[in-house]
Amino acid sequence: MMYLMTAASPVPTTSDSGGAAASSPDLAELLRRSARGDEESFARLYDATSRRVFGLVLRVVRDHAMSEEVTQEVYLDVWRTSARFDAQKGSALSWLMTIAHRAAVDRVRSSESSRRRDDAHATSAQAVAFDETAEAAEASLEAQRVRKALSTLTEAQRSAVELAYLGGYTHTEVAKLLGLPLGTAKTRIRDGLIRLRDTLGVPA
Amino acid sequence: MSPDLHHLSGAYSVDALDRDERSAFESHLAECEACRSEVTELSATAHSLAVLAEAGPPASLRTAVLAGISQVRPLPPLTADDAAEDADDEPTIVGPTTPMGGEAGVARAGATVIPLFRRTTTWIAAAAAAAVLAVGGAAWSPWSADQPTLSALQRVIQAPDAATVTSHKGAVTATLAYSRELNRSALTVTGMPPAPDGHTYQLWYMGSDEVARSAGFLTPSPDGRAEAVLAGGLTGAAAVGVTVEPTGGSAAPTGQPIMVMAVA
Repeated sequence: MMYLMTAASPVPTTSDSGGAAASSPDLAELLRRSARGDEESFARLYDATSRRVFGLVLRVVRDHAMSEEVTQEVYLDVWRTSARFDAQKGSALSWLMTIAHRAAVDRVRSSESSRRRDDAHATSAQAVAFDETAEAAEASLEAQRVRKALSTLTEAQRSAVELAYLGGYTHTEVAKLLGLPLGTAKTRIRDGLIRLRDTLGVPA
Repeated sequence: MSPDLHHLSGAYSVDALDRDERSAFESHLAECEACRSEVTELSATAHSLAVLAEAGPPASLRTAVLAGISQVRPLPPLTADDAAEDADDEPTIVGPTTPMGGEAGVARAGATVIPLFRRTTTWIAAAAAAAVLAVGGAAWSPWSADQPTLSALQRVIQAPDAATVTSHKGAVTATLAYSRELNRSALTVTGMPPAPDGHTYQLWYMGSDEVARSAGFLTPSPDGRAEAVLAGGLTGAAAVGVTVEPTGGSAAPTGQPIMVMAVA
């Protein structure tokens, strides 16, 4: 079940009507305006999404300075390719997060950055700091909903999905980390995502 | 399609393939509608996990990003000629072949993500991003002593367990005060423009059961200030939101919220 279940049909928002709508960004519209070179719309897009993007990148990359670099590159790429976003093919947020996740993962897989992540990983203080920054998000409704959905997965599915998505590991690495036979982690990841999808209500 | 490749859809959706597997699977994607559709859904699903990792970037990053884009011309849209290469009877889903290449990386996510899902995400994300929680009512200062709602407001503010949440969006500052003990909450805003013609600001309690419940209206004065004690009890509410609705209000939110504040 989701909010707005009872709304008969989506009604166009009043997103062109000025101040009020200025604080309720329609991300797809902001992307369309960005594609026309509207830097102010892009700034609003950044403000609406940067916690999500930076948080994910930081979770994967771990190194704070490197996470800032990656996040900056992500937004530059989003700006550059904003005209290629197609709302018919998915949400703006999903498009943005796809770019961000791919960038974070590719960064940590280069050897230099793997080393830096390993260093950061070895420092337990880093993990503590992360947990603190995550506190606010943990309290949010959506985090609760996602946690609840994750709890419906088997332990192997949940671990595999989290290590892959939030840890940025390949399915081969996930198999080793979990002591699974080679080749089975990809199945665990897929099964886990399918169950998550069904629980979270992303339509089939 | 090869069953082996098909089973890579989950790993592909979370970027858990190595480079060779990724490019092999992307070739497969171009020909396999079932996998395209599955990747779209599973990617959108995976990205919902990002809410567990939210963290605020330093302000300097915003400055750097905005300075950076001013130096870069956005790419033009794909034309029919460009699209023809990819054209199938179905929308083609193409993942980025390089992370920052971007040219082809535009269309991968979420073809079947319905607006409801997007809007839900927006509500919650806004609450997560906006909430600055300060327990205690010390910062509260009603602007006008003759508001008819003042006594109710004061009761909320002065409740022993009163808490406030302040949200800033552009020029708009909203402060929600609430008391679980009194089962009431009150919202005060500044810097708020009038609702668009034919529209009004409507208040909502959003439950932990994820149902939105109308909690009355908010009408800013000409100087942009407004305050309201929300209609109905706080019980069951996990957040308070404001939407723009047609005059007279709606039974359920029809637009995206302009503000959302989480309550503890």
